[in-house]
Amino acid sequence: MTLVRVPPPLQQDVDLSQTYDAVIVGSGAAGGMAAHVLTSRGLRVLMLEAGKKLDINQELRSMQWPYDHPRRGDAPPGSHALSFNEYTIRQPPYAKGSAFKHVYSYVGGWGGSDYVKNILVDEKDHPYTGSNYAWVRARCLGGKTNIWGRLALRLSDYDFKAKSHDGYGEDWPISYADIAPYYDKVDLYLGISGVKENLPHLPDSQFQRPTKLNFGEVKLRHSLAEMGRVLTPYRAGVTTDGVKHNKYRSKCYGRGACDRRPGGCDIHAAFDSPTGLIYPAMDTGHLTIRPNSIAYEVLIDRNTGRARGVAFLDNLTRTPYEAKARVVILAASTLESARLLLLSRSPQHPNGLGNTSGHVGHNFCEHVMGPGVTGLVKEMVGKPRTLDDGRPGGFYVPRFRNLTDRQPGFIRGYGFEGNSGHSMFPAHTNTPGFGAEFKKTVRDHASAFISMGGFGEVLPRYESFVDLDPEVKDSWGIPVLRFHYQFSDNERKMAEDMNTTAREMFEAAGIEVVGADRKTLTEGWSIHELGTARMGSDPKTSVLNQFQQSHDVRNLFVVDGSSHVSASCQNPTWTIMALAWRSCEYLADEFRKGGGNL
Amino acid sequence: MTDTTGHEEQSLSRREMIAATAAALAAPLLPATTATAPSPVALSGKFLTAPELALLDELTELIIPTDDHSPGARAAGVAAYIDGRLAESLEPEWQAAWRSGLQAVDGLSRELNGQPFLLATPDQRLAVLTRMAAGERAPNTPPEHFFTELKRWTVQGYYTSKIGIRLDQEYKGNVYQQGEYAGYDAK
Repeated sequence: MTLVRVPPPLQQDVDLSQTYDAVIVGSGAAGGMAAHVLTSRGLRVLMLEAGKKLDINQELRSMQWPYDHPRRGDAPPGSHALSFNEYTIRQPPYAKGSAFKHVYSYVGGWGGSDYVKNILVDEKDHPYTGSNYAWVRARCLGGKTNIWGRLALRLSDYDFKAKSHDGYGEDWPISYADIAPYYDKVDLYLGISGVKENLPHLPDSQFQRPTKLNFGEVKLRHSLAEMGRVLTPYRAGVTTDGVKHNKYRSKCYGRGACDRRPGGCDIHAAFDSPTGLIYPAMDTGHLTIRPNSIAYEVLIDRNTGRARGVAFLDNLTRTPYEAKARVVILAASTLESARLLLLSRSPQHPNGLGNTSGHVGHNFCEHVMGPGVTGLVKEMVGKPRTLDDGRPGGFYVPRFRNLTDRQPGFIRGYGFEGNSGHSMFPAHTNTPGFGAEFKKTVRDHASAFISMGGFGEVLPRYESFVDLDPEVKDSWGIPVLRFHYQFSDNERKMAEDMNTTAREMFEAAGIEVVGADRKTLTEGWSIHELGTARMGSDPKTSVLNQFQQSHDVRNLFVVDGSSHVSASCQNPTWTIMALAWRSCEYLADEFRKGGGNL
Repeated sequence: MTDTTGHEEQSLSRREMIAATAAALAAPLLPATTATAPSPVALSGKFLTAPELALLDELTELIIPTDDHSPGARAAGVAAYIDGRLAESLEPEWQAAWRSGLQAVDGLSRELNGQPFLLATPDQRLAVLTRMAAGERAPNTPPEHFFTELKRWTVQGYYTSKIGIRLDQEYKGNVYQQGEYAGYDAK
């Protein structure tokens, strides 16, 4: 088979003397989508990315066998990935005083750490302070979309109208009907794989070919159906039938080794922002990208109070520059966008930009992780090998708590992500003993395990927030974030319930539970941080309106996860992109009308 | 830009497989039956000395031996892989732990058998390793601690090797599929 790989468009010259229609800070799911929508509407856009533009095919080497790599995929000596223990017993900044030359977040400890060493930030250069938090950051073109888990889920009115449902927090200023057309657009433009289930709390997408389930998963699906619960094939942001309008992406060939998330997807069947959004946007001729550009302030016109551009440092030379634009769009990630707003202090905006509400950095939320089970599917012991990891993920068990019932211990809900079957590295190597018997046991059990772990909604609370550390600065002299954030009783009760229900579901299906993770992982582990500049109708209690437009500064938009009003328990990437699409259509409409509302 | 992927990587050739199996089957017979000191011409490692490397090689093969299904850790070059990782490590404590761990194995063998590990009979070697593995769930003595480290790296080295992935595990992925994932529709 021959795959034709289309190289990325050539980099253009960056002209900082002109005033762009829009400048976008960040190039991940949100920034990429903003670039796609605005350039397709003819706006001239400059995108600033703090990290490098990597040759991602060379970087990922998705099909490299472990034995063709000198360290079987591990990073070179001198690199260290933070462990759960370190996150637990130490305090940020975690890399402070480390003897290692490079320190990475826990993602650097996944198999294949050599493939992410240029994608993840070095914690030594990027400290943060305050409460314990496992903050995973990717500074390079595409950001975390280069290594994301690919589970692509919609939210529903159980999320958008959660306050109406249980009285806690705030409703979103939109309902499902407002965003549904944009979910459709994201589905059709990027491709998504899944099976329709007609669940009111997990709306279906415009699915391409679903991936299949293996024996243990089918068994669990049937058993769950009798309990009124659902197991559905992983809803993956992966094109299984291809996207004909995109020359940079191939359809999924089910080639396997998808378990190696840090190896990415070098045929780009899995969505990533560069090939899915940015390169096509560059091909319109309207997008200029400038990598190695660390934004540190949104610039304000002192006369009008409007945003006039972005100040940034060149990553390598540390030279300061200004990018001028009619509209400023932040898409730097939930925490970095909040940091940038807080850094942008001026006489008109003494508490940071767009922060007259005092809510920037607050209402910080995410997903609680940790509890999960591993089970043995006895029927599979000793069975011939099948290709079980030739798919982007295994399965998903959607939320079933607090929909029609009301749990005594907690509000909101959680879902489970799971996987099973044979992967490149066998699952049972922790079995005790040695010798021929050990070897045979590992071999016989290689396809026989099934596991799943919970992702639960963390409640947004005003008391959960980040602010700027008054003293600590990063390697470029920019003040860093300080965390004031920890799980509460609702999350702890929910995690206990995850433990119970995970076990009960496996046992009901006749799957023997052979392992259970009971402990809750460090805050931040889900890499789903949300909510630090939330939307709302009331400018006194929210930062952005329903179009992710600043209440205070009309030509400033924040289109990433910071705008989310609550975390839901469904993974956020698809919602980030649908919201960004909706907001940028509004922006482009207003721009064409003459900009009266901008 | 085109990229032809896959074909030359599709599988171990039959010849490769036979050669690897034959080498694996032949190799352990020599030290196991003669029970003499390592030959003075044995190669030293990048970090380990020749006797240390020979000891490690034998230990890895005892943990994951050649069987009628597939070659074991020796054929997969696990000892050389571990030696390579040790050689480039920047952590002297970790290097020292391996050196003293291997010494502890010989120490335990002297205690149990009256002679170093490689001079002991196959049964005596098995007794040493069995004693080391006894504390696997909660290691206590230096040899028990070393066993968990030794096994971890043997497992990692073997199951990321070509023999481990392709011959033992018969892993079918990391190639372009003509069909699709084998499984069942969700219904």
